[in-house]
Amino acid sequence: MFNGFTGVLYRELHVFSKKAKKQIIASSLSPLLFLIAFGWGFGKEVTVDGLPYISFLIPGLITMSTLNQSYGIALELNISRFYFHIFDEFLIAPVRQVEIVLGEACYGIFRAMISASLIFVYAILFGVELIISPIFFLAFFLHTFLFATLGVTMAMIVKDHSSQAAVNTFVITPMIFLCGTFFPVDKLPAFFKGIVHILPLTYSTKVIRSSLTGGHINITYLGLMAAFAILFFGTALWAVKRVEA
Amino acid sequence: MPSDKPILQVKALTKRFGQKSAVRGIDLTINEGEFWGLLGANGAGKTTTIKLLTGLTRPDSGEIQYRGRDFFRFFREAKQLIGVVPQQNNLDRDLTAHENLTLHAILHDIPRKLRTERIDEALDVAGLAEYRDKPVKTFSGGMKRRLVVVRSLLHHPRILFLDEPTSGLDPQIRRSLWELIQKINREQKTAVLMTTHYIEEAEKLCHRVKIISSGQIIADDTPEQLKKEIGNYVLEWGEQELFFKTRQDATDKQGTVQGESSIREVSLEDVFIKLTGKRINV
Repeated sequence: MFNGFTGVLYRELHVFSKKAKKQIIASSLSPLLFLIAFGWGFGKEVTVDGLPYISFLIPGLITMSTLNQSYGIALELNISRFYFHIFDEFLIAPVRQVEIVLGEACYGIFRAMISASLIFVYAILFGVELIISPIFFLAFFLHTFLFATLGVTMAMIVKDHSSQAAVNTFVITPMIFLCGTFFPVDKLPAFFKGIVHILPLTYSTKVIRSSLTGGHINITYLGLMAAFAILFFGTALWAVKRVEA
Repeated sequence: MPSDKPILQVKALTKRFGQKSAVRGIDLTINEGEFWGLLGANGAGKTTTIKLLTGLTRPDSGEIQYRGRDFFRFFREAKQLIGVVPQQNNLDRDLTAHENLTLHAILHDIPRKLRTERIDEALDVAGLAEYRDKPVKTFSGGMKRRLVVVRSLLHHPRILFLDEPTSGLDPQIRRSLWELIQKINREQKTAVLMTTHYIEEAEKLCHRVKIISSGQIIADDTPEQLKKEIGNYVLEWGEQELFFKTRQDATDKQGTVQGESSIREVSLEDVFIKLTGKRINV
């Protein structure tokens, strides 16, 4: 019944397990560098929005790393589409496209969970207290699901590997720098503020940060995240349906 | 023996890539248990045809029916009937032989109880039982090819599409693959559509061949009949070739030509060149 979903997850998790050590070490490095550079570098005196900078930064890093991990399935999908043609096995199999999308999305969420756990460990090491509430889990789920399905969409519509790299350079990296990971977006000039408010990461960062630091949760932002999740789930499904080998 | 119940029927299939027509109105019917060859030069539309028939590419127009039911309306049911050996080995290099087969078994919804049995059997048939838990990236070309072939059969398809199954393999390995494919066709009555550019492969294996050129099927018959149509003997001299019904006719003509000449039996390759104006291995 759910053989497509199970098959996709079987494949992704088995491949992941073979290189888990390498991947986990690699994905743990960049948040650590950011923490050392900005967390320690700025010191405890700097406060942002009433929080010590490092307490402000860690939720941002969680959001950023989990975006990288959940959206990062796009790169793997690309390799399996263009280089080894493994994705063809999914396309030839008698499975529904929606199962392929959900299987890949779950894999993206799984990768994000590993990376979030690592940063929680860093938080303990750096002596930062975080509040883990049900709202955090809801926000985390919406955030990673929406970026995983965006990843699936992109991986299906790009024509080759280099266009995938271009999407990362022009969309993902600017989003990470502008959407509140390192500083509150309210400080941006009006023009940029307008731009970042059409990008989903802005809302993810705000909601995840508020939930972890005990701030006010804006329900509208949660609703917007859910809307993005539905939208990208739709585009991913559309893209898998029209993809050709 | 093949039956006359069609497993696959195709009508007026077309596919364009931008301005270029890759497939221009293909009709074909394959009955249960038949072994078909699809012969064509590079770029003739062989692979595109296979991709269209297996759902990897969407046609621009035309009809595809498996057991009388529309492929696109009964996509999942039809795909259970199909086995595919693509031109390039699409195995997961990081996974073991066993894991690659398990993935296929899950995707094709083979019940858990049957899975172990079928996978072990497949590994045996492929001669890979002792490599069960080795990652595929350590395999030779022939081992990978055998694994892809047995994988495509794991769910007991009723029609098997083979796209250049033996290209790039040693003669010995090629022969063992031929035997495997023939055995499946003979014993399980699985219909086969195989593209190849080794003419002798088509001649040896296929009950019937279709010759495809510029996206159209230009000939369709048994290898014997196709040969008969152009003659039984060829007289070759210099750059020229003439076809004759009997050896006597050829010998008579040979007496009248200048320079070195020779007479041989007509091969499928002669048919191919005569019809397409191309040599196949270019």
